[in-house]
Order: sequence, then C-alpha cells, then structure tokens
Amino acid sequence: MRSPEDIKAAESQVWYILKFVIDPEVEVNIVDMGLVYNVEYNGENKIDITMTLSTPACPIGDAIILNVKEVVLAEFKDHEVDVKLTFDPPWTPEMVSEEGKKILGM
Amino acid sequence: MQGLATDNAPSPNVVIPHFAYAAVSFMVFTILVVFSGSSFTGHFFQPDLLAITHMAALGWGTMIIFGALYQLIPVIFETALYSELLAKITFWLFGAGILFLVYAFWTAGFTTTLPWAAGIVFLALLLFIINVFLSIGKADKKNIKTMFIGAATLWLGLTALIGVLIAFNYKYNFFSQSHLLYLKMHAHMGLAGWFLLLIIGAAATLIPMFLISHQMNENKLKFSFYFTNGGLLLLTVDWLVYQGSHFLSVWGILIITGIIFFISYIRESYKKRLRKGLDVGMKHTMIAILSLIVPVALGLIATQPFIEIESQLLWKMIMLYGLSIFFIFITSIILGQTYKTLPFIVWLVKYKSLVGKAKTPLPKELYSEKLANLQLIIYLLAILTLVAGVVFANSLIVEAGGTLLLVTAVLYNINVFKIIYHRTNITIENKN
Repeated sequence: MRSPEDIKAAESQVWYILKFVIDPEVEVNIVDMGLVYNVEYNGENKIDITMTLSTPACPIGDAIILNVKEVVLAEFKDHEVDVKLTFDPPWTPEMVSEEGKKILGM
Repeated sequence: MQGLATDNAPSPNVVIPHFAYAAVSFMVFTILVVFSGSSFTGHFFQPDLLAITHMAALGWGTMIIFGALYQLIPVIFETALYSELLAKITFWLFGAGILFLVYAFWTAGFTTTLPWAAGIVFLALLLFIINVFLSIGKADKKNIKTMFIGAATLWLGLTALIGVLIAFNYKYNFFSQSHLLYLKMHAHMGLAGWFLLLIIGAAATLIPMFLISHQMNENKLKFSFYFTNGGLLLLTVDWLVYQGSHFLSVWGILIITGIIFFISYIRESYKKRLRKGLDVGMKHTMIAILSLIVPVALGLIATQPFIEIESQLLWKMIMLYGLSIFFIFITSIILGQTYKTLPFIVWLVKYKSLVGKAKTPLPKELYSEKLANLQLIIYLLAILTLVAGVVFANSLIVEAGGTLLLVTAVLYNINVFKIIYHRTNITIENKN
C-alpha cells in the first residue's frame, strides 16, 4: 500500500495520460472535453476510471473506451484498469475545460 | 456496456457495398443527365427522365440510405439489425433490379421489360421493409426518431406498391383513372413519405450529434412528424377518392408546416452547437436543409387554386421542384453525410484494435479534404447552372450543369473509394 501522496501522484499521472486520448470527431482530448468524471487508484494494482460520452448513441464509444484502457495500461503495466461508463449525470457543454473551449472555438 | 451502439454494429461488409454502389450510381446518374439536357426543358413524363429519376432515387438515394440505415439502426433503436443475411440478399436483388429498371425506362420498354424490372425492385424493397420492422420489433427503446424511420419505411412500401401497379398497368391496363394521377401519388409518397421522413429521422439524430448540441426541443420533431404524416395521408386519400379536391393546398400546407418544424429543429441545433466551425460534410448537410425552402415555396404556389399558371411555366416549376429535391436536398445531404459516416465505419474496421497501442490517423484523414472542398465548390456551380438551364429552358446550359455535376461525382467517387480501399497505416509508438 502506497502513501496518500503517492496515490495522488499516480492519479494525476493517469489524468495526464488520458489527455492523449482524442475524441476523433471533435479532435479534443477526452479530459478537456470533460468526459472523464473520476480516476481512482487503490494504492495497489487497480485503477478505476469513470467516464461518459457526449451522447449515448456515440458510434465510436467503445473505441474510445478501449483507447483509454490501452494508454493507461501502457504506463501502469501490471495493473488492472477498469473503465466504467456512466450517463448519470449526462455530459453537458459546461463540462468542457477552458482549454477545450479554445480548441472548439467556443 | 449499455447504450453503446457499437456493440450492435453490423458487419462492415453489409454496409460498405451500399456506399460503393451508390457512389457509382451517382456518377451514372450524372452521365445520363449530360446526355439528356433537352428533356429537362419540357414535360416530365419522358423515358430518359424516368430512367434518371429512378437511378437517382433508387441507385443513389435509396441504396446509400439502406447502407447508412443498417449502421444507424443500432444507434437509433439500440438493437442489432434483425438479419445481416437478409440485408445482403436485399443488396444483390435490389442492385440488379435497379439496373434492370433503369434500362427498362431508358429503352421505353413500358409493356415489355418494365413490369418484370419493377417486380424485382418491389421484392427487394419488401425484404428491406421486413428486416427493418423485425429490428424495430426487437427494440426496447421507441422514440420519435424510431417513429420517423418506421413511418418512412411504411411509405417506401406504399411507394413501391403503387410503382409496381403503374408498371403492370402499362401492360394490362386496369386503372380507372389516368396513370398520371397514380404517378403523382407514387412521387409524393416516395419524396415526402420515404426520403423526407427518413432524412428527418436520421438528421435529427446525426446533426445534433455531429454539432454537439444539447438540450434540444424534441417537441418540434413530434409536431414535424404528425404534420408531415397527417398531410401526406390526407393528400393520398384525397387523390384516391376525389382525384384531387379543393383541399389539396390545405394538405400541402400541413406537410410544409411539418417541414418548417424540422428546419426549426435543425436551426436550434445549429445555434446551440458546441462545435463552431463546419467541416465540408456539415456544409453540404446545411445546404441540403436550407434548400428545402425551394420545393416548399414552389409547392405552396402550385397548390393555390386562385393562382392561374400557364402550362409552360407549370412544367418549369415541376422541373425545378424535382430538381431541388433530387439534385439538392437528397444529393447534398448524402454527399455531406458520406464524409461524416463512411470514414468512421472504415476507421473502426482498420484501427479499433490498434487504438492506444499505436498512433492511428483520424477518421477524416482517410479522405482528401482538399478534394472534398473542391467537390463542394463544383457542386454548387453545377446546381446554379442546372437551375439556370431549367429557368431559361436551354438544354445547352442544362448539359453544362450536368457536366459540372459529373465532375462532382468523379471527385466524390475518388474520395469514397480512397476511404473504402484505405490501407492501415500506423507508426508503433516506442515508449522505451
């Protein structure tokens, strides 16, 4: 079991890695799109990610989820990465970060 | 993963052949236009115009809609397509049937080849309808968008039924009224019932998704549904029972009201959009939606009993009406939505297993954006020229417009086949 500081650092690292997952339709990464709700590291070998999609009908949703899993696993090799998809609360445009708004031209 | 449409996505080899067939049909259709410029300046009931119309309506419009719908059914209905095998059989039967039908019209084989060709197309359409309704039956989620698709599919069935009856009537002569009355019903069911309702249902799902518009007023879609369907139903009954009463313009206005509610829904989506810039696909789509104003205005004028229109002008109006629906509304939305859907379908096939492991291209990098932009400009020039050709009743201008449209089709085909035959191109990231 790692210290709370280590856990926090690992979680920030996951958030950072997730910035490399791009929503191919809007070309904005999923963190700045506000699609990632939560990242939780249990201090041992499990990382839980809770995220949403801009629409439940998103035709490339599972490609994005697969992508999330792969990029985190690439850095945290012997870990178990669980991506949970939720539509509660549903995503709204207010969740886009300032950075994301700039890219989208909002 | 509840709510994820990709789990139910059909196999790409069911979907992609439809896009290929449609792209080639679009080119054949434009070649036919180039060779029949003079037919655009007179009456609409001519063998070559009937051939062109059916090449456009079936080979281009309906074929690509079938393919897109097989992909969209899981998205809109949240269930898989009932039978992929049935979809494949439908494709081959329909594909062969269309060629036979267009040949029958072009060679004016009204009493010889046409009934057979129409019969084959009818059978293919019937198989499609069965597949869609069995899929809807499986779906838990029924909303306004499924209602649009369901109703459109029913109208397709009625359009095909009347079409096949007209074809058999040329041989066996059993209609009590002029075949032109049934032709009017056939055309309106096809245009307003099948194409319009289907496009509304699909666009109402896709446009807010691509523009990322939230908190949309779905009531507008409900009003649009009831007005369009109600108007069309009353129009059909009126023609059947009274061969056209004084109320025709009222039914026309009901349909138009439905269209206006749809336009308003799209306008709302556009205003609430998160994504400000429009790519080439969305530009084509918006041109299509805006163009609906033309047939609406022409329809409104033509159905007013108090306006006397001399026959020469009326023919021109009918020609512009057909032109604006086939060449602008249906064609532009398909040209645009191809770029919004086909690259994703192919991208998922080629790169889904590689995401996160390697640097994958973006779906839009599967086609040439430069070519697509050029295609848009030439397309707009083609439309303006065609309209001018009809307005001035000049077959040379029509043929020039047709040639520009052919160039549009060539550019579109290059991109479509570039996407379909895309080869996986990746660079493995070396993290060490």
